[in-house]
Formats: sequence, C-alpha cells, structure tokens
Amino acid sequence: MSYLALVLANLGRSKVRSLLTGGAVMLAVLLVCLLLTMPAGLDAIVTSIASDTRISVHNKAGVVYSLPLSFARKVRHVDGVEAAVGFSWFGGAFEEAGKVTFPNFAVEAEHVGAVYPDYGIPAQQLADFERYRDGAIVGRQTMKQYGWKIGDRITLQSTILPLNLDLRIVGEIPNDRSPVLWLNREYVDQALKALGRSGMGRVGIVWTRVKDPSRVNQVMAAVDELSRNSDAETASETERSFFFSFFSSLQGFIRIILIVTGLVALCIVFIAANTASMAVRERAAEIAILRAIGFERRAIFAMLLGEALTLSTVSGLTGVALAVALTRVLRAFAGWNSALGPLGNFMVTPGVIVQGVVLSLLVGLLAGAVPAYGAVRRSVVGVLHDVF
Amino acid sequence: MAVMIAVDRVSRLYRRGVEEIHALIAVSLEVQAGHFVAFMGPSGSGKSTLLNLVSGIDRPNEGTVFVAGQRLNDLTEDDLAHWRARHVGLIFQFFNLIPVLSARDNVALPLLLTDLTKRERQRRAETALRVVGLVDRAHHSPATLSGGEQQRVAIARAIVTDPDLIVADEPTGDLDARNAEDVLALLRQLKNDFGKTVVMVTHDPRALRFVDDAFHLDKGVLLEGEAAERAAEAIRLAATPAHHSPRQPTA
Repeated sequence: MSYLALVLANLGRSKVRSLLTGGAVMLAVLLVCLLLTMPAGLDAIVTSIASDTRISVHNKAGVVYSLPLSFARKVRHVDGVEAAVGFSWFGGAFEEAGKVTFPNFAVEAEHVGAVYPDYGIPAQQLADFERYRDGAIVGRQTMKQYGWKIGDRITLQSTILPLNLDLRIVGEIPNDRSPVLWLNREYVDQALKALGRSGMGRVGIVWTRVKDPSRVNQVMAAVDELSRNSDAETASETERSFFFSFFSSLQGFIRIILIVTGLVALCIVFIAANTASMAVRERAAEIAILRAIGFERRAIFAMLLGEALTLSTVSGLTGVALAVALTRVLRAFAGWNSALGPLGNFMVTPGVIVQGVVLSLLVGLLAGAVPAYGAVRRSVVGVLHDVF
Repeated sequence: MAVMIAVDRVSRLYRRGVEEIHALIAVSLEVQAGHFVAFMGPSGSGKSTLLNLVSGIDRPNEGTVFVAGQRLNDLTEDDLAHWRARHVGLIFQFFNLIPVLSARDNVALPLLLTDLTKRERQRRAETALRVVGLVDRAHHSPATLSGGEQQRVAIARAIVTDPDLIVADEPTGDLDARNAEDVLALLRQLKNDFGKTVVMVTHDPRALRFVDDAFHLDKGVLLEGEAAERAAEAIRLAATPAHHSPRQPTA
C-alpha cells in the first residue's frame, strides 16, 4: 500500500458521496468551460463575417436613424474609398406575414459587389443582380433553409413598407453561415413611387470599402467630416467594431453569466468543503490514531488535501473533457446543419482547458485545506481525549 | 537490566476554563526493559495520562520523562510523532482500524513512515500478522473480523515497526472474557518471545496474572508501600471468586 492507495481507498469509503461531490464539481467546471468559450466564440463569429477594410457609416444618433442616399455618393468621392453602397432595412417576411425569418436589405445593386468582393459572389450573378430590377442575392444558409435555388421566384412582404414584392433569385452568397438577402433598391424605390409615395431617398447604413487597411482611421475621419454640422451627422466604425457593438448587449449578458458562474463555482467550493469537513469529522478517531502512531501533522494534512484534490481534479478533468467533446459535437453538427452554424465557433481552446483545470485544483485546494487544517491543528492528546 | 522508562517527579495539570485538574502529581517510577507492567487505578486516577506521557503523546508540566534513553520533554510535537513512529507501538481500547483497508494494509500503515519498499512493507506486515495468528486473514477487511481479531490486527500494527516499547490503553476494555485473555496472553508473549517492554493501562483484574509488575494510581498519585499492596489486593479479590484458583502467568 502507498499514500496514493490510501488516498484512493479513503475516497472509496463513501462512493455515493464521492460521486455526488465529484459530479457537482464536474458540472460546475463543464459550465464554466462552456461559458468561457463564448467571448472567443463571438469574436470568431465576428471575425468570420467582418472585414477590417470595410466600414459602416451610419447616423451618429444610432443605426435606426437614416441618412440621405446622396451621402453614399459623397462617400464614394472621399480619398481612399474603393466603393460604397447604401443599405436599407426592408424587413421582408416570407410565408408567414409579419415574421422576418432572415435579414433582408434593399441595396444599390451596382455598387454592392465592389464593397463585398471577399464574399466571392460570381461576377455573372452580380451582373444579373444589376440587370434585373426584381433580382435578389441570397445567402446560402437561407437558400438551404428554404430549399431555394437560383432562378426561383419568391415573394417578400415588407413589415415596414406597404410593399409585397416578387423577387427572382439571381445569385447566392457562397457562405454556409450567411442568412442575408439583398434586393435591388431601385425596385423598392419604383414600387413606392407607383403607390404615390415618395421614393426610397434614404439609407440606414452606407457600407464602405477602403483601399488601404492602414488608412481606415483616416478615411473614417474624413467621411464623418463630410457630415459635420449637417442634420444627419455620421459615426463611422469598422465592420468588426460595428458587429461587436451589435453584440455588446450579448456580451454584457455573458459577463453576468460569468459572474453567476463564478458564484456557482464558489458555492461548489463551499459544498465540497462541507462534504470534506463531514468526512473528516466522521474519521476523527482514525485520524487521531494515525497521528498517535507517528504520522506528522503535514502527512495527515497532505493526505486529506490529497483526497480533496484528487476528487476535484478527476471531476474537473472530466468536466473539461465533456466540454471539449460537447463543443466538438456542436461543431460537427454545425457542418451538417446550417441553422447551428454559429455554435461551431464555440471551441474549448487550450486557454479554456487550463482555466478549467486551474478551477478544479482551486476547488480541491479550498475545499480540502480548511477541514485538513482543522484535523491537524489540535494536539494529539486533545483529539484522543475528545474521541475516546 | 537497562531502564526503558524513567519518570521523575512528573506532574500534569489540565485547565478546563478556570478549573484546574491535577491529573498527575509528582509521579516517579522506572520500568525495566523487557518487562510487562500495568498502570491500574480507578477512573480519574491519572493512569491514562501517565501512559500518554511515556508514549510521547503528551508532555508533562513538571518533571522529566526518559524513554529508551530519549528525554521526551524537549521534543516538539512533530519530533515526538517521528520518535513515536520509530520507538513506540500503540494499542487502543477501540481498535480503530481503517475500514476500507485490508488487515494487512492496516498493519502496514506505520511502515509508510519508513523508507522500506512496498514489497518489504508487505512482508513485514505479514510477519506481524503471523505473530498474532492472523496471517490467513490478511486480506480480510476489518468489518469481517471479530472484535478479538480486530484487536489482534491492532497489536500487529503496533509491533510491525519492531518498536522498543509497546503501550496499550485498555486493550481488553471492548472484548469479551475469552478474547480479553487471548489478548493479554499475546501481550505477554511479545514480552517473553521478543523481549518487548509492554506497558498497559487497564481496569481488568485478570491483567495481574499476566504482568510482571503493576503500578497503582489514585487521584494522580502513585501509590506506594502498604497503600499499593491494599489496592493490588482489592483488585485480586475482585478478580478471584472464592472457589477458583487464579491461573498462573503464561511465562
């Protein structure tokens, strides 16, 4: 028999208690690891859809306030700008009235391809989009979701405009995680005018592509300078920054979840410490005997701490392994099911694994140290007197 | 014959709140190496306190305790633990074996404090179990052993390190008459066959038939002369029914 065998034998003394305590630690570590993947996962999502050379120009008061369409033309003339395209939220619902199931925007068809060359949309499809007034380009995720193919005709009923537009799908954004649909701004403009309303003279966002990534800040400043003192001053930011601020409320939510998770982990420490204390109390006589026959304080302390550390580490590593397995399964599923797409970005990185292992060790240390110290701090004769 | 234990004018005072308890008052005695002695007396007489002092579990307020040539007063708690591991084998009334370990692993526990290899620890544990007659129960868990067998495993645990001194605190207190006699005979055998010094605290009058000498205490004082003889006689009378002759010691 060795010290390790003694530690393991003691852990097997009450298997149900060890399993329940270990299970609690495992679930806490699993939860923490999964939540720790979220900031990096969101970052990965944003990185996968955003470009540092594309900037969002929108009303300084917020994206819900519009800009004049003419401002897009002004932006195109700013030094350093490659292309710019005005985007307007159409809010079209497919099949079920009033329910927008994928984002759709009216865009300037002749400019959109130049702003999104990284999307890899075939030139012929962009040309068709420009040529056909009722053309639409749709992200592959939505194409798959509804079983559409190029050439199909669909109808979108706007939730913000009195329009019911028939569209012809002329192109596809070849990205499994893209849900977006673009329709021709000109088509919307003419449809509105046909109803006797003023046309679509305003846009929500002017997406702008910059020639030189190193000049992005200068270009943003120049663009914002154009609108200074106008009734629609602009605020420019990179696409990456735009999406990050879009997710900022979610990040705040994640921060709250992380705090709650930290508190849960602390609760687990208290539960594990209480369990360890109970186990030590039950074994007070045995521990007294061990000390009497010559086991020094530090040997007893190490044995009791070793029990807590072994249990928490094994449980924590199981939690980490489950987190890795779970995220891998999600990633695999995300490959088969585009609706799960973003979930594939939540990966347990080596950093998260280290944090999970450190958390497990901390739980064991904190939960084991207090009862272990209590067991060795008193004199042998005092303990023997109490227990016999 | 060499002196194994020398206790000189030892006093032990416990404080419980404002109350002071004089557990031992200026006790002096010597135990020769290779002797089997008993500390006897009524509850609260100080016999267990004296046993704790000679086994290095406790330290006196006054006086000196020498065991196997070592003055124990000056040792720290950890030094005492280290000293006990090498020189003392302890036996308790309640056997307190570790329930999740086999008899052999329980016996081998004190050997974890040595540099012996695992194989050597197992061999010595089996030897100790052979001495107490339980080698065939080496792989049994304590729960499957009788009270007498558990106490014999505890005795094997006490002798496995080959200590100079074996101390037993009420070793027969939790046993029936037959097992109690077996345990006393086994302790006597350790003295006879292996030359061990055995010190035992007991209430058990049967012990007088097995020990070489008995020290009688009362209210923290070691009885001497006529007082000690009267105490011994009282115990003898209590142990011996009028129509029975006492058994002779086994040595």
